[in-house]
Amino acid sequence: MIQLKQIEKSYRTDTIETLALNRINLSVFQGEFLSIMGPSGCGKSTLLNIMGLLDAPTKGEVLIDGRLTTHLSDKQLAHFRNQTIGFIFQSFHLINDLRVLDNVELPLLYRKVSASERVQLAKEALTKVGLSNRMKHFPSQLSGGQKQRVAIARAIVGRPQIILADEPTGNLDSAMGNEIMDLLLHLNATEGTTIVMVTHDETMAKKTHRLVRLFDGAQVNDHTLKQVYA
Amino acid sequence: MLKNYFKIAIAVLKRRKFFTFISLFGISFTLTILIVATAFIDNATSDNYPEVNRDRSLYITSVQEKGLKNHSQMNSPASFYYLDRYVSTLKTPVKVAISSFYAVTNAYINNKRLAINLKYTNDEFWDVFQYKFIEGKPYTLQQINNGEHVAVISEDTKRDYFGDLPTVVGKYIEADNVQYRVAGVVKSVPVTMPLSYADLYVPYTVSKTDYRQKTLMGNYTAVMMAATKADVPKMKEEYAAIVAKIKPDDKEYDEFISIADTYVASFIRNSPLGSSDESGISKLVMAASIFLLFFMLLPTLNLVNINISRIMERSSEIGVRKAFGASSSTLVGQFIVENLILTFLGCIIGIIISFIILQLMNNTNMIANMHLTINGTVLLYSMAACIIFGLISGVYPAWRMSRLQVVTALKSQ
Amino acid sequence: MISHLFKLIWNKKKQNFLLITEMFVSFLVMFAVFTMIVRAYNNYRHPLGFEYDDVWVASYMTPENIQSDDSAALFQDVLRKQLQSFPQVVEAGFSGHNFPFAMTMSNSMVSSDQNEGVMTNFYNADDNYLKVLNAKMLSGRWFSKADDVSKSPVVVINRKLQEELFEGKNAIGKYIEYGGDRLKVIGVMENMKDKGTYTPVENGLFKRIDAGAAKWTSNILIKVKPGADAVFEGKLFKALSNTIGTSVEIEHMDKKLTRQNKLSLIPMIIMLVVGGFLIINVALGLFGVLWYNINKRRSEIGLRRAVGASGNSVSKQLVGESLVLSTLALLIGLFFAIQFPLLKVFDLPASVYLVAIALSVAFIYILVFLCALYPGRQAAAIYPAVALHEE
Repeated sequence: MIQLKQIEKSYRTDTIETLALNRINLSVFQGEFLSIMGPSGCGKSTLLNIMGLLDAPTKGEVLIDGRLTTHLSDKQLAHFRNQTIGFIFQSFHLINDLRVLDNVELPLLYRKVSASERVQLAKEALTKVGLSNRMKHFPSQLSGGQKQRVAIARAIVGRPQIILADEPTGNLDSAMGNEIMDLLLHLNATEGTTIVMVTHDETMAKKTHRLVRLFDGAQVNDHTLKQVYA
Repeated sequence: MLKNYFKIAIAVLKRRKFFTFISLFGISFTLTILIVATAFIDNATSDNYPEVNRDRSLYITSVQEKGLKNHSQMNSPASFYYLDRYVSTLKTPVKVAISSFYAVTNAYINNKRLAINLKYTNDEFWDVFQYKFIEGKPYTLQQINNGEHVAVISEDTKRDYFGDLPTVVGKYIEADNVQYRVAGVVKSVPVTMPLSYADLYVPYTVSKTDYRQKTLMGNYTAVMMAATKADVPKMKEEYAAIVAKIKPDDKEYDEFISIADTYVASFIRNSPLGSSDESGISKLVMAASIFLLFFMLLPTLNLVNINISRIMERSSEIGVRKAFGASSSTLVGQFIVENLILTFLGCIIGIIISFIILQLMNNTNMIANMHLTINGTVLLYSMAACIIFGLISGVYPAWRMSRLQVVTALKSQ
Repeated sequence: MISHLFKLIWNKKKQNFLLITEMFVSFLVMFAVFTMIVRAYNNYRHPLGFEYDDVWVASYMTPENIQSDDSAALFQDVLRKQLQSFPQVVEAGFSGHNFPFAMTMSNSMVSSDQNEGVMTNFYNADDNYLKVLNAKMLSGRWFSKADDVSKSPVVVINRKLQEELFEGKNAIGKYIEYGGDRLKVIGVMENMKDKGTYTPVENGLFKRIDAGAAKWTSNILIKVKPGADAVFEGKLFKALSNTIGTSVEIEHMDKKLTRQNKLSLIPMIIMLVVGGFLIINVALGLFGVLWYNINKRRSEIGLRRAVGASGNSVSKQLVGESLVLSTLALLIGLFFAIQFPLLKVFDLPASVYLVAIALSVAFIYILVFLCALYPGRQAAAIYPAVALHEE
């Protein structure tokens, strides 16, 4: 589903060049739930951003669904993200000025979907995450776990093939974290959505199919926990 | 989509009330000043009571004699003799109004002094200018030729001189030490229209100076009215042809110049901006545009600054939108629409404030008899100014916003 | 400390560019406004140099039957005598069209042995003019009957013209060249600010109304006793109208001054309203942006507090940063503003521009200081622990 070939990412400040990622090769298969672990600053989030086409690698190629993404324009990238990828962030990134329903609708705004259909799909997504009774609330009226569930609803409303989650449980206590994790596992199991999750939490990572460890921008370990698809 | 923009725009406006206030204040007051200024200009330049035929009229407000040897020149209004002989006889104009510049004279009533502006006119003056007669009627050609001491007075003069009398036609008014019989009372004209403004209109034949004197220069102006607007250029040419044949009366000068101008041009040509070669309108327009640019520059900069602050505050939103598939151009569009909504709100407030200010000006009679209005044209121009304002102040911040990297945008919360 | 501030600003030059532009344009606007105000105040400080209370002006058209110079002079004598016969009239004197507070101007180039080509106002005045207006002589004397027989034409000049034409030396007895004529200076009078309270003192040269000029001088300045009312004015008007036979107008000089001052004040009031609105706008904008910027830097401020900066020093630093920003804007502004006195634009004294520059610099500093004060105070109240935790 996602193929990373010889990915390098370096940041250049005035004098020093820091290498954040060093020759990463990684394939994520369709329907897989992959977790990425590693100490702070090892390049996990950078890797996720590159997978999500939010950031371009300095060297190397990203193929998604077999398509090379290197030379896509801003517009094409936007379209691609919209169609195939859903994002979940550690700090939720909900738009505080919009109600829950409007927040969930957001990805559909950039597709040609009628208003009534948007509402319909957003309601369905919110029902899936168990928040159908909070549609008219503003994000500030929700708890952290509820916010993250809204964010998940937003990520799945466009039925993307891939969901990228950057420490989705990082800002939550363990009970809420488990709830969110169960939701992601359920999603992966029932809808077959490919999920890549960056996490700090060993117990969360243990629940996924495969665990990749990064250290100082390089891949050190690739450990399959459950064989799903050959 | 637009509905969504609208929703978020309103939410953003409500969140940072202080910024919203600054933006709206800047937009609405800039607009108010523009509208009030244009209302003045519009009042001074477009057809207004009683000068309703300006678009098919040409104005002769001055004649000039030039000496080529020592670059001497003399400017003056024309004499009655000149206008009567050379202008009244032209073929294209259907009517020619000849009148003197108003001159102040005194009337004394109930031991109080009343300054009265006196204007000498011919009979066609009453055809070219459409005065509204509250009572009576203008004096006739017959009365003028007989040299009768009859007068048309303004409504203000009637009130000041006669007090509360219901009708004054047939009564006598003494001004400039002469008794005039009142023939009619007209609605007053503001002093900003010097060609039609006066308190007391009397036949040129009763003037104390000799109107038959055969000189070119004097104290009179003429307004030529063509049958239709299309005839105006022809009228201008016909007058130019006549002027070319006239020699100055003073031997010191070699050249006689007089130009029939449109209303606005006739004033600007006599200002320091104009000359006999060019009316100076282009110079005036240029000066006004530079002033306008400067005047709009500060509020625009202010708005740009505030907009940038606002956008940077919303970096998380921008990041999310980009991550979920909004392209840069979509975001630019969104922000410009938001800004237009804001300017539009400011626009409406500005129009309301201007309306109140103009009403106040009219009601307090700041300039007597001047009635300022916001008409369609003024409104249209203001709206256009508003949209330009909104676009300019929105484009740069929007561009800055669209260049924001998703990764940094999402980080900075 | 200052270099630290400069470093901070330089590293954020892109964000600060617009703020600097805004301050720069505000400076230019204030410079224009202050130039007008300083000029008007400078003019206002000069004494008027004459008295206009209870002075009326009667203007008429010289009747057409008066053709010869002698009959014109005779006609003026008749009018003068007639006026003096009224007990309410203190004094009456003739003047050209450019009597004090009239709209008319008349000026020309004159030269002297010391100085070539000086522009001056030309006034026509008779022997009574000085007494009617109660103006003061500095040296020499005013016109009198004795000048009837003088060989060369005699003139009185004002102090300013003496300064410009004769380099301040005594001009009595010297000659002024004017279009081939040699005019003998018999007196120097104190400057008269005859165009209004807020207009500058100008060069002035007074010519005596002789028989040749009588035909063209048809304005009578009449000093009346205090308390002369409209009843008397009506009587006077009737008498003059009967004698003269053409249109006569009587005006009061105090009313003319009011009108003249309105003409100087109205553009200034409009400027002030527009300028004031722009500045309020800018002040609100600056306040908002500074406030926002400081809020955005909470973690930086928290860090500074954590490493030992006091709340006071943090707020001082933030206000200092804004002032350094405005200094940059003012430097650019000064470069443009200083061109005005250097290139002598608009023919104003350099001192007016310099004072206006000083005032607008002070104004912008105060404005920025006030706008930064509150946000700076707010920043001082940031607790390091809270601010750092937020990141």
